[in-house]
Amino acid sequence: MKDIREDIAWAKINQDVMKSLENPRPMYWVILFFAALVLAVGIGCEVYQYRTGMGVANLDNPHVWGLYIGTFIFWIGMSHSGTLLSAILHLMHADWRKPIYRFAEAMTTFSLMTAGLFVLMHLGRLWQFYYAVPYPNERWAWPNFQSPLIWDAMAMFTYLSSSVLFLFIGMIPDIAIARDNMHSGWRKKLYTLLALGWEGTDRQWRNFRMTYLTVACFLIPLAVSVHSIVASDFAVSQQPGWHVTSFPPYFVAGALYSGCAAIITLFIILRYVFKFEDYMTLPILKKVVRLTFAIAMVWTYLNCVEFASVWYSHDAASKGVLIQKMTGAYAPFWWAMIFCGSIVPLIFAVKRFQTNIPVIFATSLLMNLGMWLERWMIVSPTFSHGYYPWTWDHDQWPSMIQWGIVFGSFGWFTLLFMVFCKMFPSVSMYEVKEMVYHRSLHLKQNGTPVEQTVEQGVH
Amino acid sequence: MSKRHLLALYGDFDQAEAVVKELRNTKITGFDVNDDMIVKSPIEHPEVEKFLGEKPVYVQWFTLIGAVIGGSLGFLGISSAQANFFMQMKGGKPIVPLPANFVLTYELFILGGVYITVLGFLICSGLPAKRSPLYNAKVSVDNIGILVKAEEAAVAVLKAIFAKHQAIEIQEEAGK
Amino acid sequence: MSVTNLLDNWAEVRHFHPIDDKPHDPYKWAMSIDLDACIGCNACAVACYAENNLPVVGREKFQHGQVMHWMRIERYWNEDDREFPDQGAEFLPMMCQQCEAAPCETVCPVGATNHTQDGLNSQIYNRCIGSRYCSANCPYKVRYFNWYDYPTTDNVWPAEMNYQLNPDVTVRGKGVMEKCTFCVQRLRAAEVTAKGEGRIVREGEVQTACQQSCPTNAISFGNLVDPESRVYKQWKAQQVDLAKDEQEKDKQEGGSDLRGYRILEDLRTYPSVMYLERVRESAV
Repeated sequence: MKDIREDIAWAKINQDVMKSLENPRPMYWVILFFAALVLAVGIGCEVYQYRTGMGVANLDNPHVWGLYIGTFIFWIGMSHSGTLLSAILHLMHADWRKPIYRFAEAMTTFSLMTAGLFVLMHLGRLWQFYYAVPYPNERWAWPNFQSPLIWDAMAMFTYLSSSVLFLFIGMIPDIAIARDNMHSGWRKKLYTLLALGWEGTDRQWRNFRMTYLTVACFLIPLAVSVHSIVASDFAVSQQPGWHVTSFPPYFVAGALYSGCAAIITLFIILRYVFKFEDYMTLPILKKVVRLTFAIAMVWTYLNCVEFASVWYSHDAASKGVLIQKMTGAYAPFWWAMIFCGSIVPLIFAVKRFQTNIPVIFATSLLMNLGMWLERWMIVSPTFSHGYYPWTWDHDQWPSMIQWGIVFGSFGWFTLLFMVFCKMFPSVSMYEVKEMVYHRSLHLKQNGTPVEQTVEQGVH
Repeated sequence: MSKRHLLALYGDFDQAEAVVKELRNTKITGFDVNDDMIVKSPIEHPEVEKFLGEKPVYVQWFTLIGAVIGGSLGFLGISSAQANFFMQMKGGKPIVPLPANFVLTYELFILGGVYITVLGFLICSGLPAKRSPLYNAKVSVDNIGILVKAEEAAVAVLKAIFAKHQAIEIQEEAGK
Repeated sequence: MSVTNLLDNWAEVRHFHPIDDKPHDPYKWAMSIDLDACIGCNACAVACYAENNLPVVGREKFQHGQVMHWMRIERYWNEDDREFPDQGAEFLPMMCQQCEAAPCETVCPVGATNHTQDGLNSQIYNRCIGSRYCSANCPYKVRYFNWYDYPTTDNVWPAEMNYQLNPDVTVRGKGVMEKCTFCVQRLRAAEVTAKGEGRIVREGEVQTACQQSCPTNAISFGNLVDPESRVYKQWKAQQVDLAKDEQEKDKQEGGSDLRGYRILEDLRTYPSVMYLERVRESAV
């Protein structure tokens, strides 16, 4: 099985991808419509919460954080796999990433934007969020640089802006193609502006390669640090169930996991909606599925490590939280998390299912659900079983407003993502050409079946 | 002394390489192969650089400088912000806590690195650029373009060389 | 600014405040609560509501756990071998422990909660943006968030009740965190008066609302660095040292017979409230 046919004409690549900017399948508009609808619900809930107070979310006093923070971690986590595909696999020269990294990188950007919204709408006084921004002001007061929330804000700002730049830089040659092929109108003007006058000269390519490489080198430690810092929100605190040394790697593994699951979901949707069957091929999907399976097992392992170290420690409070998770009010969700996160991916061990699209799609949705539950199970149980007995048995169920905002965020993400995919080439044309070119060179040079050589490159 | 532009399109890299080699080996008055020739390709292709000869890339120096500046300014800025203005006393912690500031320094190191790298990319590759006088959309599809700039006298010679290597198309700037 | 000056400042800001530092001078406000004397009457909580303009949130919000009692009386049932478990009721008045190394302070993104020179854990309502991280990181869970805009909520302070509000204390709007302040408005007033007269606040000159209203005198409050104060004497007698995460007396074999202890001391929060263990058999 080969990742991509080597006999695709370069002109056809241009045509196919440019078509995705023009006329997707009707399903596209259906998705867009529902995303807008869900977003509208979310906005309505947020407006109500903003005007009335955070109490409408049904958070209460020992239990001050809930789904908002959990979903915030979920979205941040989702952003990490874009970097995995675009930067880490770039450095590893894994060619198969080329047709799919663009949308993964876009996913990074938009899920970060969604996560940023959660930081804001979780604030009790949203209208004064700028107190947390370090800028010289007449109050002579700076934010508290010791707070992990400030680290979060700084890390997210760095990650978001770097990801946008990385996405944009990588897209310049493709925007130039869009500029050359788009019929005249506002979109042609937009592409002309964004292409910055790119013409593919040797000087441009030379600097382009170096830039892409260095930014990729920066993005990898950045991505790791971003989720480590999010983990620090919890690990730096001293609450039982949060104060865990292994949280940063655990979070990073979870982030890659949920990101890969989301990539699979979006892969299948884009493949269908934009008719990308020739580029987002089953062999590539198979590789992503295998990667996801491996990360799922890493995540499961780290889970076991955490449970074991809590269980065998003499920290009664942490142990109490763990037992509470397994048997208390949150037990159904906790066990659902274990099922979706550790058991469900085992289906990928069966070779037959690694290319079965309906099965993969359903599995990826379940894994996403499991990872979302994981974040919720990190945040909430600690509040209902902390150090202090007064907090015990304070169970709290999120109100419809809280659920509405959480669902709304999915609409927001989907809307941004789908609009992006129709506005900009979501398959990297020039890199697919490179991929095709390298394959045909291989064929020409040694006449061996290309499959083997490419497979070697991957493993 | 007016110079005119010529653009020749080729279907594959081997042909383009042959043309470049021939241009390099032929002495043409009014045409300097290093200054007056630009090769355009639809993909990032190291072979082009090989037959064009190594040319230095300076982007990485921007990266280094940006990262160092970002990191050091970040640390100094944060520490001095903490030690001046309203001091925020935190029980059990110094006013300037090094571990916390290290985290932020790390982020600003990367931030500076990325920003200045991108700036360096724009400067080094001359973007945003004016469009060159001759451009063919086929370059962004599958053709290799060789854009040359030469005096009137050399144009005929160049054309002949382009034609000899079976150029798909030769575009010529209208004479002035 | 000379280099020496700069380095001096640097040394100053690298101090570990305030544990490593010069002890609080001239004030360190602290409390001790005798659980043997506490009868669980809730007078302290009521006094706190009155003094600090706490909103009475009503039945529905109470059930949602959005209650604002800075001072809460916790009940625990000691059921062993009793005919009626109620007989084993134990009470614990709980409020902000004004930790010396407060976990809430370091995590606030905007620095709305800080350590003051007189040893309080301050809360700046104007600065608070409501991230609620402080409450999440508080081991005692004594911080309360304004889930709604109580001043404008019906039935919290009906119109005629506005005259009942304490003019020395702000009324907090929605979205800010608040907690026990050790009645900071009273402390500041006393400190300012004393300063005007060129002395420090004398023992008994200032009382917190809860202390004032306690019928059994279970709460004592004062300046821990003043050897004349009752609090100082109690802490001394109970051999509880503010700057220790494990008291010397507890390291002895078999523990100590002294009743003084601080809650969750081993978390190194260095709380400023000492409790005196209950020895009496029955609550009533």
